[in-house]
Amino acid sequence: MEFDQIDLLVTLDAATDEVLDTLTFGVIGIDADGQVQRYNSMESKMAALSPAKVLGNQLFTAVAPCMNNFMVAQRFEDALADRSTLDETIEYVLTLRMRPIKVKLRLLAAPAVARRYVLIQRRT
Amino acid sequence: MDAHVDSLEEEFEALTQFLYLAPVGLTQLAMDGTIAIINPISAQLLMPLTRDGSLDNLFTILQDVVPELRHLTESFEKPHGIVCDSLRVQLSAGVRGVSDPKILSLTVLKLDETRLMAVLSDVSQQMKRDRLLRQNEAWFNAILTGITDYAMVRLDARGCIVAWNASIGRVTGFSQEAAVGQPYSIFYPADTTTSDRVRDRLDEAKANGWSIDDGWRIRADGTRFWGSAVIVPLLERTSPSDDSTSVDTHVEEYADDVRFCLVLRDITEQRAAADMHRLQTSCDHLTGVANRRTFYEAAELEIERYRRSPRPLSLILFDADFFKKVNDNFGHSGGDAVLRQFGALLMATFRQVDVVARLGGEEFAVLLPSADLRGATAVGERLRLAVETSEVDSDGTRIRYTVSGGIAAMDEDVSGLDELMKRADTALYAAKAAGRNRLEVWSANDPSRPVVSEG
Repeated sequence: MEFDQIDLLVTLDAATDEVLDTLTFGVIGIDADGQVQRYNSMESKMAALSPAKVLGNQLFTAVAPCMNNFMVAQRFEDALADRSTLDETIEYVLTLRMRPIKVKLRLLAAPAVARRYVLIQRRT
Repeated sequence: MDAHVDSLEEEFEALTQFLYLAPVGLTQLAMDGTIAIINPISAQLLMPLTRDGSLDNLFTILQDVVPELRHLTESFEKPHGIVCDSLRVQLSAGVRGVSDPKILSLTVLKLDETRLMAVLSDVSQQMKRDRLLRQNEAWFNAILTGITDYAMVRLDARGCIVAWNASIGRVTGFSQEAAVGQPYSIFYPADTTTSDRVRDRLDEAKANGWSIDDGWRIRADGTRFWGSAVIVPLLERTSPSDDSTSVDTHVEEYADDVRFCLVLRDITEQRAAADMHRLQTSCDHLTGVANRRTFYEAAELEIERYRRSPRPLSLILFDADFFKKVNDNFGHSGGDAVLRQFGALLMATFRQVDVVARLGGEEFAVLLPSADLRGATAVGERLRLAVETSEVDSDGTRIRYTVSGGIAAMDEDVSGLDELMKRADTALYAAKAAGRNRLEVWSANDPSRPVVSEG
C-alpha cells in the first residue's frame, strides 16, 4: 500500500494491524464518534505515543488537538453529515515530538466504511 | 533494570502527551527566532499568521502583528529574564455579530544566551470580559472615590444645558447666561469633540446606562483641566396608570421628557497615574502614538457609531517611503528617529479626536471621525508636506524622508473595518505606484487610477 494509492480506503480498512505496522506512513483510524480505533507503529513512532495511550481516546480533543480545525476535523464532520465520500490530501505542519514537521495529510472517509482515516506522510 | 527503563519511557510518554494537550502555546526558539520546539496549541495559534504555512521562525511569523519583537529581544541585555510579559497581540478586528476580535497574549522569556521561550495563549474572550470590567470599574471610581468637587449638569434630549447651578460655576466658571441652552461640548476644547460625538455619547448613555470619558476639559476663561465626564440618562417615572410595557417606549425616541445628567469632575491629580497606565497599555513603545490594539478598539467603536447613525468617517493609511533604505543608510537608530518624528508630526497635525496609531513597521493609520474625504485629504496633505519639508536629527546626521498615504471613507457599501482598511490600503498602493510622496483617494471606478493626487 502506498500513501497516494487511489481507492485506498477499503483496502486499508480491511488490512490487519500487522500489515498497517509495515507501512512507511502514519495511519490513524477513528470511528463515527471520533474515537481512535487504529494507530499504526509508524504514527506511534513519529508522535512518540504508544497505541495503548491513544486507542479508545477522542482524536480531536484528547490526542491531536492540532487537527481540531476546519482543515481536518471539519472536513470529516461535513462528509459524515452529507453522507459523502472524502478523499483529500493537504499540506500541513504537525508538531510531532514538539518539532514543527511538514507533512501531507490524506483524509479518507466514505459512507460505506464505518471507520475514517487520517494518513500522515512527512514531506521534505 | 528493565523496570527502570520502562518507567523512564512511560514518564517520557506521559510528558509528551502532557505537552501535546497543554492548553497554552509553548515554543522554544533560538535568539534569531528559529523555532526548535513547539507544541500543538502554539502551532495552531501561529498557523493563520504564516505566509507560506511553515513554522520556521517566530519573529518572521509575528512580524506584521508584533513588529517590535525582534528589537525587544535583541535589546534585552540581561543574561536571562522576561523580555515581554503578556503582550497583547491583536490579530483581527472581528466581524460584528459573527466573530469577536482575535487577541493573543505573548510572553517571551530569555532562558540563556542562546535560547528563548515564548508562551502564547488566546485571550480574545478574556479581553472581552476585561473591557466590560474596566467600564464597571470606571463607573464605580466615578461614584465612590475622591470626589472633592463636581459639577452636576442637567441636559435636554439634544445634550443642551437646561439649567445652571452653583456647581457649574464653581468647576467650570461658566455663568448662567453663557451656559444655558448651549450643548455640553462647551466644556470640551474644540479639537477634542465633534457634534456627532456629542450625540454619540448621549446614544451610548441611553444604550448602556452611562457613558464615561476622561480627557481635557475647558473652563470659561480658556484654561484647561483634566476631567472625567459621566453622562447618565434620567428616566422620568411613568405615571401610575401606565402599565409596565410602556416603560421602554419613552427611551426609544428622543422625547422631550428624556433628560441626561452630566457629572463633570476635575481629576487632574489622578492624571499622572492614568497617563502611565495608558502609555503602558495603549501606546506604541517607540513613537508614543496609539498601538495596533487601541486602534482596532477605537475603530470598531467608530464603525458601530457610524452604523447607528451614518456620518462622515475617513481613514488614512500612511507609509514611510523607502524606509528600508533609511534603515540601510542610517542604521536602526536612524530608522527609529524617523518613526519617532513621524509619530510626533502626526500628533501635531491631526485633531485630538482623531485616532493616530502605528499599525506595524513604518505603517501608520489615522481615523478621522466626522471628516469627509475632502477634509481628510486636506489635513493629510498638510501632514505630507510637513514631512517633506522637515529634517530628522539622528546623532548629528540629518535625515530627510517622505511619506505616501491612502485615503478611504466609510459609506453604505463598506461592510466593516476590514474593508475600509482594504480600500485605504489599495489607495496607498496606488500612491506608491504613482511615485510616492503623495496621497491617493480610493475610487470605486478604477482602483488603479484614483481621482485625487497631490505632491
